[in-house]
Amino acid sequence: MDDRETGLKERARRAYERGRLAGAARRSVLLLPVLGAASLCCPSPGAIVAGGAGLFAVVTFCLWRGQEFRLGVRPGLVAGFVPLLLPILVQAIGHACAPGRCLLFPAVCGLGGLAGGVALGILAPHPREGRGIPFVTACLIAALAGSVGCVLYGLFGLGVMGLGLLLGAGPILAARRA
Amino acid sequence: MERLAGGDRASFHPVFAALWPLLRRFAARHLRPEEAEDAAQEALVKIFFRAAGFDPSRSALAWALGIAAFEIRTARRRRQRRREVSPPDGFPAAAGDAAPTPESEAIARDLEAMLEEALGVLRPEDAETLRLYARGNRSEVAAATFRKRVERAIARLRTVWRTTDGRP
Repeated sequence: MDDRETGLKERARRAYERGRLAGAARRSVLLLPVLGAASLCCPSPGAIVAGGAGLFAVVTFCLWRGQEFRLGVRPGLVAGFVPLLLPILVQAIGHACAPGRCLLFPAVCGLGGLAGGVALGILAPHPREGRGIPFVTACLIAALAGSVGCVLYGLFGLGVMGLGLLLGAGPILAARRA
Repeated sequence: MERLAGGDRASFHPVFAALWPLLRRFAARHLRPEEAEDAAQEALVKIFFRAAGFDPSRSALAWALGIAAFEIRTARRRRQRRREVSPPDGFPAAAGDAAPTPESEAIARDLEAMLEEALGVLRPEDAETLRLYARGNRSEVAAATFRKRVERAIARLRTVWRTTDGRP
C-alpha cells in the first residue's frame, strides 16, 4: 500500500467516524423536545439541563460507537422515559406543591421508577451478553433519563426513582438469569 | 458493509480493500484517467461517510456504485463547465508558456476582434460584466449575483456567436 493509498484510507476512516457521529447526533436530537418540556416544568432548570446534556451525550456516544453500546440505547430510553414523563405530566396537570414538601411527588417518582424498572427488566439485554456492555448502557440511560424527570423534586425524588428502578428490574432480571 | 454500518471498526479494512479497486475501475471506465482517480476517491470518502446509514436490506454493491455513478456525473459536469468557460484553442491564454508564433498571434488578434464585435452586439451591461470577469474583477454586487450575471452574459454571447458564426 503506497503513501497515497494510506492517506486515502485515513481520509476514508475520518469520513466514516464523522458520518457516524453526525448520524448519532441527528437521532439524539429527537430527545431535545422532551428535555425542553422537562426544563419548562422545572422552577430551577439548571439540574435538568445538566442531566439532559448528560443523557444526550451518553446516547450520542453509544449510537456513534455502535455494536454492543447501541444495543442498550432503546431499552434504556423506553425504561427511562416512564420516570421522566410521569413527573412532568403531574407537574403539567397543575398539582400545587412546593418541591421537596409534597408527598405526592416522591410517590410519582417511585411509581415511575418501578414501572421503568419493570420495563428495564423485560427489555434490557442479558447482563452477560456482549461483555455486559449493553446491559450497563441500558441501565445508565434509564437512570439518566429518569433522573431528568425526577430531579424536579430534588435529591429525594432521585433516590426514590432509583429505588423504584432497582425494585422493578431486580426480580425480573433475577428470574431471567435463573 | 452491514457490519461496518453497525459500527464494527474491524471490518473497515476489508471493505476498503474490496471497494477501492472496484471504484477505480468503475471510474476509469467512464472518465478520463486524470479525472477518474479524483472521482473514485471522492466516491470512496462519501461511501464511508454514509456507511452508518446503509440499509442492510439493499445490495451493498449497487448502493456503492450508485454513489460512484453520482460522482462520475459530477466530474463530467465539472469538465463540461470548464470547457465552456476556458478560451478556445489558439487563444493566447490557452497557448501556455511557449512563445507565440506569428500565426498564433494573428489568430489571437482576429479572435479578439471578433469577440469585441460580438460584445458590441450584446447589451452594454452584459459586455461590461464579461469584461470585468475577464480581468478577474467583479462589480459591487454579491458574488452569487455576479456569477449569475456572468452565466447569463456568456449564454447571450454564445447565442450571438452561434448566429453570426463568429463573424458579426
